[in-house]
Amino acid sequence: MLNELQEIIAEKLGLSAEEVQPEKSLKDDLKADSLDLFDLVTELEEKYEIEIPTEDLDTLVTVQDVIDYIEKR
Amino acid sequence: MTESKIMKTRVTELLGISYPVIQGGMAHIAEYHLASAVSEAGGLGVIASANGSAERVKKEIEALRERTDQPFGVNIMLLSPHAAEVAQMAAEEKVPVITTGAGNPEKYMSLWKSAGIKVIPVVASVALAKRMERCGADAVIAEGCEAGGHIGELTSMTLIPQIADEVEIPVIGAGGVGDGRGLAAMLILGAEGVQVGTRFVVAEESIAHENYKQKILKARDIDSVVTGRSCGHPIRSVRNPHTRKYIEMEKSGASFEELEYLALGSLRRAVEEGDLENGNFMAGQIAGLIHKEQPCREILEELVTEAEALLGGSKPWER
Repeated sequence: MLNELQEIIAEKLGLSAEEVQPEKSLKDDLKADSLDLFDLVTELEEKYEIEIPTEDLDTLVTVQDVIDYIEKR
Repeated sequence: MTESKIMKTRVTELLGISYPVIQGGMAHIAEYHLASAVSEAGGLGVIASANGSAERVKKEIEALRERTDQPFGVNIMLLSPHAAEVAQMAAEEKVPVITTGAGNPEKYMSLWKSAGIKVIPVVASVALAKRMERCGADAVIAEGCEAGGHIGELTSMTLIPQIADEVEIPVIGAGGVGDGRGLAAMLILGAEGVQVGTRFVVAEESIAHENYKQKILKARDIDSVVTGRSCGHPIRSVRNPHTRKYIEMEKSGASFEELEYLALGSLRRAVEEGDLENGNFMAGQIAGLIHKEQPCREILEELVTEAEALLGGSKPWER
């Protein structure tokens, strides 16, 4: 799951997979802006066939948060 | 009013208007005089809430309703500290249309939809447009970076067709429309209506200071500048000493707080005082094309008549 998500996030943000470490914050460390985050969320919803409601968006701060969220779903 | 026979699109039908033209929700400028004139003339007039309180915006709505019983909209700026209370008030007032900017309006969607309101978020990306469609938006406004005020990254030329390809709901194109060529182009790109800002700033019914109107009427193409890229909040204006100072400060690494301080109140100074030195004259890149102060009725009729002539009877929105 980590590798797969690392690649998705890396591809979306134009980074290498190695830069996408679990403890990194999407906004502060990886410099994702709000449009990047919507794009990422859309990809995750389509790939994993889930819906990510608004109230959950704010909880996805670090890469690890995203991994934990997807695994729970 | 003249009804445009070949300009009926899903947008005109959705909003109950004659022409598929929405007036932009420009802070301080989009108030009841302008909005009621646009609605009376067959477009959709829009009141901008900006950072105003619910009480203040409600007064604007009441004043507009005294002047017209045509459909109108309220633009809600989601970063406003009063956004939640304005959202609630707009639902209680059962405004016909709400447009939103600066964020994701999802959390208010069920409140507004159950009040029978048409909801049209401004979007700057395909992913956001798709998300808005999924949560019940009636249409989206796809705004390219040619627009005045707060802008995204993509141009109208590239953003509108990409969004039109990915959503089923109507797309309203914004950014760069100053005459019938822009309207026709948007319709060909996949939009079924347009949002126009800059041209309405110089409408006769617009309360913008005469200096603001003259800045736009005298602007050339190369006078369009963007401030605030370094803060992540780019804003497009007609250049003047204020923008020059701001950009120099950005280049020399000024802090976010210093730049914020410079920007504070600058739009109001432009709109209300016509302050040519310290005002921020927000306007789109199309300002260089606009040379006349006209009544809203003339603006709308020209936009549509020119576009119709160019389209020669074809209806790209029906493909």
